[in-house]
Amino acid sequence: MNIIKKLSLLVFSLAAVSASVFAEELSFGKAVNEAVKVNISTLLASPEQYLEKEITISGTIVGVCSHQGCWVDIASDAKFEKLRIKVRDGEMVFPIHVKGRQALATGKLTAIELNLEQTKKHKTELAKRRGEKIEPESINETMSIYQLTPVGIKVLD
Amino acid sequence: MTKNKTINWFKLNRTLHRDIGYLCVGLTLVFAISGIALNHIGDWNPNYIVERSEKSFLVNSKSTDAQLNKALLRLFPSTPPIKANYWESINQYKLFFDNGGAITVNFSKQTAVYEHIRARAVFKQFNSLHLNEAKKGWLVFSDIYAGLLIYLALSALFMVKGKYSAWRFKRGWLIIIGGAIPAVYIFM
Repeated sequence: MNIIKKLSLLVFSLAAVSASVFAEELSFGKAVNEAVKVNISTLLASPEQYLEKEITISGTIVGVCSHQGCWVDIASDAKFEKLRIKVRDGEMVFPIHVKGRQALATGKLTAIELNLEQTKKHKTELAKRRGEKIEPESINETMSIYQLTPVGIKVLD
Repeated sequence: MTKNKTINWFKLNRTLHRDIGYLCVGLTLVFAISGIALNHIGDWNPNYIVERSEKSFLVNSKSTDAQLNKALLRLFPSTPPIKANYWESINQYKLFFDNGGAITVNFSKQTAVYEHIRARAVFKQFNSLHLNEAKKGWLVFSDIYAGLLIYLALSALFMVKGKYSAWRFKRGWLIIIGGAIPAVYIFM
């Protein structure tokens, strides 16, 4: 077998393996703890109650960081709502092809304080999502946004 | 008459350096190629090729999900089976497919964008090894490889005798430069 044939065989084998990568259950980090499952809508309705507690959320993956694979967005059980799962770069790498699949994630909810300018921008964006209108000038109080820092994630097939 | 055999350390080192060097060729290529690919992760996606195709979509957002899906599949007939759907906002609807592809409908712009995802052959596998996405067995294997690289680096210092030895300035300056470059970056 000449070298070209051998290389073609290698590339073909790798391509075949890459095709199979698209369909399989994936696990990242520790095992998911389903005993502490909370709906995302419940979580986001009163996030302060869940801060720094171990929780598990589940839902459809509706967004993935396309470059570093360092975050995924999970759709809430409520309309127009989602929760971001964020890891430090390289800690877990979420492949882009998991979009649309169901995931379970265990971790801790963390708050990110926004300043007034960021709050106005965020609330305007949320209102736009829901088809509502707000006056950004009427916002005087800052807010926090929430994301899950995971210890374990399971992406179902 | 018995011959007193002594170990020729110089020869043994050269033999080991050669054979371990051969052993490391494949892994070095994997790590070097994926290293370049991952270094430039800000400029491109080293794992996937994402192809986008945009079409105009005039269906009303008041339609049911089933009606929207049907219309979208008519618009993009060669899509894999539907995996899930999601309302991102009142004006944005997403339909996900089995292979991670998705259609995003923007009702205000009246457009539908189909994103088709393909894994990059070779790079995807090399990068996943480099980032240790594989199972624990790979961790052991890559630790062994790192150990072998350390051996290759150190044994290289004892490969040549004479004026081109690593211990003479004629070639020794190369070692100084190799150590100085990372030191400058660390302490600068």
